[in-house]
Amino acid sequence: MNASLRNWLLLAVALGLAALYLFPLYWMYVTSLKTGSEVFATPPGFVPRDAQWDNFPYVWSVRDMGSYIWNSLIIASGTTFLTAALGTGCAYVLARYRNMWIDIGLFLILMLQVLPASLMITPIFVGFSQFGLLETPRLAVILALTAKTMPFFVVLVRATFMSVPSELEEAALVDGNSRIGAFFAIALPLARNGILVSAILIFMQAFGEYVYSKSIIQSPALQPASVGLNAFMGPNTNEWNNIMAYASIYVTPILAAFVLLQRRIVAGLTSGALK
Amino acid sequence: MTAQPQIELTNIDKHYGSFHALRDINLTIENGQFVALVGPSGCGKSTLLRSLAGLESISGGTMKIAGDVMNGVPPRKRDVAMVFQSYALYPHMSVLDNLTYSLRLKRRPKSEAEAAANEVAATTGLQKLLRRLPRELSGGQRQRVAMGRAIIRHPKAFLFDEPLSNLDAALRVHMRKEIRALHDRLRATSVYVTHDQIEAMTMADHVVVMREGVIEQQGAPLELYDRPANMFVAGFIGSPAMNFVDGTVDGSGTGARLALPDEPSIQIGKRLEPGRKITVGLRPEFLQLASGDEAALHLSVTTVESTGSTTYISSLGEPEIVVVVNGRTDVAAGDKIGLAIAPENVHAFDPETGKAI
Repeated sequence: MNASLRNWLLLAVALGLAALYLFPLYWMYVTSLKTGSEVFATPPGFVPRDAQWDNFPYVWSVRDMGSYIWNSLIIASGTTFLTAALGTGCAYVLARYRNMWIDIGLFLILMLQVLPASLMITPIFVGFSQFGLLETPRLAVILALTAKTMPFFVVLVRATFMSVPSELEEAALVDGNSRIGAFFAIALPLARNGILVSAILIFMQAFGEYVYSKSIIQSPALQPASVGLNAFMGPNTNEWNNIMAYASIYVTPILAAFVLLQRRIVAGLTSGALK
Repeated sequence: MTAQPQIELTNIDKHYGSFHALRDINLTIENGQFVALVGPSGCGKSTLLRSLAGLESISGGTMKIAGDVMNGVPPRKRDVAMVFQSYALYPHMSVLDNLTYSLRLKRRPKSEAEAAANEVAATTGLQKLLRRLPRELSGGQRQRVAMGRAIIRHPKAFLFDEPLSNLDAALRVHMRKEIRALHDRLRATSVYVTHDQIEAMTMADHVVVMREGVIEQQGAPLELYDRPANMFVAGFIGSPAMNFVDGTVDGSGTGARLALPDEPSIQIGKRLEPGRKITVGLRPEFLQLASGDEAALHLSVTTVESTGSTTYISSLGEPEIVVVVNGRTDVAAGDKIGLAIAPENVHAFDPETGKAI
């Protein structure tokens, strides 16, 4: 077998796997454009016969999606901001110092990563209710989510800081800067790409979060779109086209952002921010 | 020029946990002097330099810069400038911003900073590069920016941490001269760390040879070359390295019998107690080809390497003997050669302590 034939074959396999993997996404978009009866047609159509673009504005107004998406945005932005503000300093310290305490800290942070949200939610719920945090449920979700996303952020950003040579900060110290000044003037700008990419990933994760929001937020007016979508899917639902339209409206912005930023995200994850 | 020394180190000690990195370092550097710290890697020379900059804390002793005790003073208050091995240029700043960084930190007016940058750029040949980012510069240009960043501050002392080791050989020789010329113009006190003894010998007024955290010897370059205090310094300074041969002082006290095939005898230029075991040091460049009665020792040649201007003749035995001959020679591998050396060029060391006798 020659090399080019093998490459074509591998490409075909890759495309096949990608198609399989992305099929649910495709099916979501196709179904969202179908009529209610076409959804149940056998055999199912892979292309809608008569695209129902009206499904989107209909779902948006009937399900009051504006409020849900707004809540999702608040929760995602709050979580991202808090994670970045608290996690950057933490990641920096973990990157710059090497001793037993740092190793213990790093181990604990990785431990947090292991615990599943569905397990954590019960103690969090009880604790938050005792602190009265359930009075401000969106803030409560932001706090809980920040704790959950923190390890991922810290580990990624730590790697970014480690790629910034400490000699640069030493040069800044000798040039007359203070320790904290060297962090803000040298380390932070050079780690900017890695921090941005990690923050974007955190944002996407928080935008789609379900478990904490579902458990902590009772009032529909404060719930994010993930919970709203779930409420839409009752036991006797048959309006799958509208549900898929809801889902499409929900994920398309994230998807678009990812496609637009994917080159930077991949670059930020695989390489240091330098050179 | 003031009378008081610019840098004064007394009994400096530095521990990293159980590792004793610097032991009782005493060093005085006069204003305007160019001092090289030289030694093999791990000898503590970089630690000493970083301690001077304030990037490492010292465990004991007194460190004075321009008369002020600097123990525990943070780097930004020491008024010293450092040139790093990797140059450590700020990658997100233009050359101009790199040069003026320290001035901007001192909140000097922008016009003043830019005027200073232009002046430094003129000295270092960077005028056309001020708007570039470090990654758009060649190695030599980055080196110049790193130098310029130090010069612009008019600091109390310049600290250089192996600044030339990332350059190729030709550029290194060129920059060596440039740095020295710059020093002669600015007359600023400089401390220069290098593992390359040629750099130390050619650039410095005063060379400090270190090993395992201890200063083995310090002095003017040629003094170290002519009168090494011990075998380590003798072997470290000079290229190719000094030949060491074990020997025994003969009956007259002024000669030694060497532990080489057919036990040749040479004059050692001093009177020692007969029968004493010594190690004789013979610099390759002082050994001369000789014949007949003039030849004190005879060796069979293993390899002959010529660079055109210089020929290296070696005899791989135990010990190996290297001879450097200026110009060319018709000696070939396998030949038997006679060698002579003037008694005043023979070094004698105590084989136990390694100290010069």
